[in-house]
Amino acid sequence: MMCEDCGIRPAKFHLMTIINGDRVERNLCPICMAKHQKQIPGIDFSNLAGILNSILENKGREEDEADGEELEGYVCEQCGMTYVEFQKCGMLGCANCYQAFKTPMTALLQRVHGNTQHAGRVPGGVRNGTSIRMNIDRLKQKLQKAIADEEYEQAAKLRDTIRALTAQLERKESTIKVKPKEQLDGDGREGADADV
Amino acid sequence: MYEYVLSPEQDVVISSRVRLSRNYEDLPFSPKLTREYAEEVIERTADAVFKMETGASFTLLRMSELEEDARSRLVEHHLISYDLLKFVNRSAAMVTSSGTVSVMLNEEDHVRFQGLLPGLQLERAAEMALKLDESLGNRYPFAFDHQWGFLTACPANTGTGMRASVILHLPAISGSGQMGAVMQTVAKLGLTIRGLYGEGSEAQGNLYQLSNQATLGRSEEDVIRSLSAATAQIVEHERSMRENAEKRDMLQLQDSLMRSWGELMYARLMTVKEFMSRYSDIRYAASMGYLHAPLPGLDALMMDLQPGSLGVRAGKLISPRESEILRAKLLREELQKLVSD
Repeated sequence: MMCEDCGIRPAKFHLMTIINGDRVERNLCPICMAKHQKQIPGIDFSNLAGILNSILENKGREEDEADGEELEGYVCEQCGMTYVEFQKCGMLGCANCYQAFKTPMTALLQRVHGNTQHAGRVPGGVRNGTSIRMNIDRLKQKLQKAIADEEYEQAAKLRDTIRALTAQLERKESTIKVKPKEQLDGDGREGADADV
Repeated sequence: MYEYVLSPEQDVVISSRVRLSRNYEDLPFSPKLTREYAEEVIERTADAVFKMETGASFTLLRMSELEEDARSRLVEHHLISYDLLKFVNRSAAMVTSSGTVSVMLNEEDHVRFQGLLPGLQLERAAEMALKLDESLGNRYPFAFDHQWGFLTACPANTGTGMRASVILHLPAISGSGQMGAVMQTVAKLGLTIRGLYGEGSEAQGNLYQLSNQATLGRSEEDVIRSLSAATAQIVEHERSMRENAEKRDMLQLQDSLMRSWGELMYARLMTVKEFMSRYSDIRYAASMGYLHAPLPGLDALMMDLQPGSLGVRAGKLISPRESEILRAKLLREELQKLVSD
């Protein structure tokens, strides 16, 4: 089970707190546990957490050994951060770490966010065609909804917009090298032609 | 006729905040950030912020140059996070006098933009933060990936890098022992709620913070919309609980709440813990119309009487007892002013 706070490290503690008479239970890793404890006013748990942490680290090491060996190979060539180091501090060393740790990072992001595809804003608008691609994805979702709701006039409009944007993206991609072109084209036609 | 300006849902929602985390793509992240790189972050950001149209209203504050009370005051007024003070040697903040927008530098991420407004105004707070993001991002590019969005030091913020939150005053829900149920319900919506002062520990003043958990896979608009909707529901629930308490025994409710007014007006020593519980009572009373005190004024006073802010006000280092005396004295003066205005 992963820590419910950071989602990065395995949970080793079960924390139960009473907030104004209500019981709240959480499963936490030693680092997040220490954070919680420090915030209980008037009591200094930092030392206790340190002791517990060292005991559990030893215990945890045995459990995680199998995983650890596999993950030891991941090193970011740009900043020198290793995946094992990242697991300890919970923070990455630079933007390149994400690529360097791609495989475990994908699994981690899936666990933490329940998703691995960004759906929000992009910097600099149309740079690299990213915003166009995201716009197409959004419109495709709308198109499916329009079809489901039998709003065919709206769906036809959406289909045309998607086609225009896909063409725009193609023109962009012929000048910039970007991979998932065929994939996008295929999806676009399929979605647009269905039932309209 | 008794009137004052209220922000949307301010009887329950104290404030709305949106924070965006960004990192410059060519500089190392927090664990590998040297003094030189940290300085580069401050220089770039200050340069970009000061060149904005509204740039002149910002002040750059280096944490290493501030007294401890002044730093705590910024935390207590929600202008910076407590975590910024973990990196005092390298961290800084850019704040405006209104306090509605601020930028944190060299916290966990290079830059964190914040929009903060009273009441339930998440859309506007988001607009404010996103505007800063645009102005700065156009000048110096932020780390971004097509698949994973904005890259942050901690993967828990990757994607939009956005944490939206509201501070809620929930005396009636809390008093009826329903917070556990509320917590479970919001968790199902991908939101998290905790006591404002102290994570996981007691919720002083019945103040809670409700915020989004995931940052990857949903658009900013989508997250803001669902957080606003969940907040609106909690607001309705809190209001109906307050009404129920009044219907059950109005005199009893008034008596228990207004006793706190008496304590606050006549006490000579006031700890922050007692103050928070009394403040909750008089805020509740004011929202029900039992007490004619403006809610924005009460909330401002609540922040001003926290330990750090009180120290700044005293202008010198004060002992715990001195701060209890000063808090009680200021309460008598300020509350009198609030009700007579």
